[in-house]
Amino acid sequence: MFVKKYFIKFTQKVFDLKAPTNLPIFSSYEFDSRFYDEIFTDNNEVRQVYETLFNLFSEYSVDDFANLNDKAKDAFFNQGITFQVYGDKETKEKIFPFDLFPRIIGNKEWCKIEKGALQRSKALNEFLWDLYHDQKIIKDNIVPVELINSSVNFLKQMKGFNPPGGIYNHVSGTDLIKHSDGDYYVLEDNIRCPSGVSYVVGNRDALKRTLFGVFNHYQSYNVSDYGQNLLEIIESVKPKGVDIPKCVVLTPGVYNSAYYEHSFLAKQMGVELVEGRDLFIENDFVYMKTIKGLERVDVIYRRVDDLFIDPLEFKKDSLLGVPGLFKCYMKGKVCLVNAPGTGVADDKAIYTYMPQIIKYYLDEEPILNNVYTYHCSRPEELKYVLENVDKLVVKPVDESGGYGISIGNKLTKEEIEKVKATIKDDPRKYIAQPIMSLSTHATYIEEENSFEPRHVDLRTFTLLGKDKSFVLKGGLTRVALKKGNLVVNSSQGGGSKDTWVLKK
Amino acid sequence: MLARVANNLFWMGRYLERSEHIARYMNVNYFSSLDAPSELSQSRQFVLRSMLFVADEEELKVGKELDERKVLFDIGLNPEKQFSILSSIQNAQQNANGARDLISTELYESINTLNRTVKNYDKDRFVKNGLFDFTTMITANVASLRTKIRGTLLHDEVYAIIMLGIYIERANQVIRIINSKYNDALVEKVNSGASVTTSYEWTTLLKCVQTYDMMRRYYRKIPTSNTVLDFLILNPVCPRSIMNSLNNILYYISFLSKEEIPHKDTAAFLIGKLKYEHQYKTIEDVQGGLKTFIEKLVEDLSLVGEKMDKDYFSLY
Repeated sequence: MFVKKYFIKFTQKVFDLKAPTNLPIFSSYEFDSRFYDEIFTDNNEVRQVYETLFNLFSEYSVDDFANLNDKAKDAFFNQGITFQVYGDKETKEKIFPFDLFPRIIGNKEWCKIEKGALQRSKALNEFLWDLYHDQKIIKDNIVPVELINSSVNFLKQMKGFNPPGGIYNHVSGTDLIKHSDGDYYVLEDNIRCPSGVSYVVGNRDALKRTLFGVFNHYQSYNVSDYGQNLLEIIESVKPKGVDIPKCVVLTPGVYNSAYYEHSFLAKQMGVELVEGRDLFIENDFVYMKTIKGLERVDVIYRRVDDLFIDPLEFKKDSLLGVPGLFKCYMKGKVCLVNAPGTGVADDKAIYTYMPQIIKYYLDEEPILNNVYTYHCSRPEELKYVLENVDKLVVKPVDESGGYGISIGNKLTKEEIEKVKATIKDDPRKYIAQPIMSLSTHATYIEEENSFEPRHVDLRTFTLLGKDKSFVLKGGLTRVALKKGNLVVNSSQGGGSKDTWVLKK
Repeated sequence: MLARVANNLFWMGRYLERSEHIARYMNVNYFSSLDAPSELSQSRQFVLRSMLFVADEEELKVGKELDERKVLFDIGLNPEKQFSILSSIQNAQQNANGARDLISTELYESINTLNRTVKNYDKDRFVKNGLFDFTTMITANVASLRTKIRGTLLHDEVYAIIMLGIYIERANQVIRIINSKYNDALVEKVNSGASVTTSYEWTTLLKCVQTYDMMRRYYRKIPTSNTVLDFLILNPVCPRSIMNSLNNILYYISFLSKEEIPHKDTAAFLIGKLKYEHQYKTIEDVQGGLKTFIEKLVEDLSLVGEKMDKDYFSLY
């Protein structure tokens, strides 16, 4: 492997001024040229958008950064941007690791992402409407019928139902990576209950608190308008006959790992945060139990999965939902955001048809690339996958959170055999993709007390309402903190970065 | 407002207020006993028993010799004890968390920060020589939290519920503290024949509720049982008197209960009744039966809390 070592030009100067322990923070930044590095070009030059930041950061010593890192962590704990980890003896409060080095996206680069994300969300919405109505795309042989029939996420109850405003995926999260060719690729679409947007805002706040000195050197878009836009979107899909809709956020409760996000969204929108037990149904209308009696609810931004929203209709033992809620929805008395049954369109097998889906409904070329995907459900492709497990990423179709993924070049011989056996057991359950080279980005590594390149991805947030859409100008840059790791999910030890989208 | 969330807010207010009173009680009793006039009032056991009496009477029933460090740890930082300041702050934080979307970021963050500070407080330092610092830190922080409640929240139902929690808890704590000091004065009388009327405990009592200077200003006399009880129970001008709390409770409950004449089984009715009963009572009226009077008030005030629960929070 060819490794480049980058020595900054003012090393000497910093050494002159400070004690030897105060090492400049980029003195040993080593990056692997097989990947696209977000900060440095192959010729060891700092990329243009990062120049100012790089110069500013180079004035900080390692000690300064260790200090700032502690301050940022404190800021998260004090703001309560935390999640609970349940152990044998005690419950621990943890923060989602936050990195001090922001990711910067130039305006031109962003415009393409924004257009592409919106295009995908719109196409997915059309696709969902079609799947739950005439299924023209299947009749036209674009998407195979088996894919839909075998999907556990297809809700037959939704067939023929018209969701208010014609919208299914009001909130979409699109996961993107930058490959070694310098271009963005979509890894997956999330249109059930995509989370993470509170961290976009939380990261920005934390960065402004700790590194206020660097912030004013850049003109980046504000990210705090998400709540306002979300409220307008969910109000736009109010049930018929309602003038000013009463909107609420439905959370599984304070013990849910995303509770911070739920309370954040409710607060940003200025609406109530309710749990299933706060709601009550009478004559197909939904009410919440207030100190002055029952009050009608019109739109529910639910952060509870499909199967848990109504024990009468789905999982019988769910305590998180409200008995009878789905019936109220079917009768048009309340709107659920996102619509139940969106999961059929964001599974990894459907993903592979996205270019065709976009073309079919919008008559447009896809703006963002799809990663080429092999379907283990097709015999020839299954054969190729089984022969090349070591060169591929194999993913289960219906898992999220990075579970069940195997990355070929990290496996031992025995493990490869095991993966092959699992695929053969149920080929429909698996897809495979070439190992994509996620770009690397300078990241502060606490244990090493220095900046090191780590793999990153980007999740964008798109909102669709009746005659209105919005893409948050920013996003969640997730970073795999373990050296060489390509899985960035927080459940797998990932952290995140503030993401700046530049105005010019 | 959701009934569940209202319950959270109410208890957030109560736990914050409770932690402040317990911290102040520990602080004042401990430090004023150091140079107290009689041997008994200087005795460690006497002071520790008095602290436990206010924190949790149950603990006293065992009747053993008390260990100073253990008592301080139990009341201050023991996570196993529901009555500890640490537990109160933690409960306040958890309740704030359950109502997080309704309160200001500034308020939530300050409660959260205080909770972290208390949780990470050095336990050895606290029991060895940190009592003053710790209790002062608590009282200062709770006062600052009240300022944030007043200064950053909408003065609507949310605010009214929190204030109800605060004032109901304040009345409950003050009457418990009065009860405790009254008992201390009785114990002193039995032990040393000292007069209950002019006991040193009355001065301590005033300091426990931070009203010593103002009481002197109001009566211009050395505190006696009569003037102190009049000031702390019946005087509406004294900011920590029961009367003052009752006035506030009645004011804030009117945000929630719009009926002019509340139904007789409600919290609003009971509060109005208590207020007017005490408004026209003089300390001379209760002279003969002080003990019964205080005990009845302890009972009535805890009943207010129970009725609140029934009227406003039981829907969930």
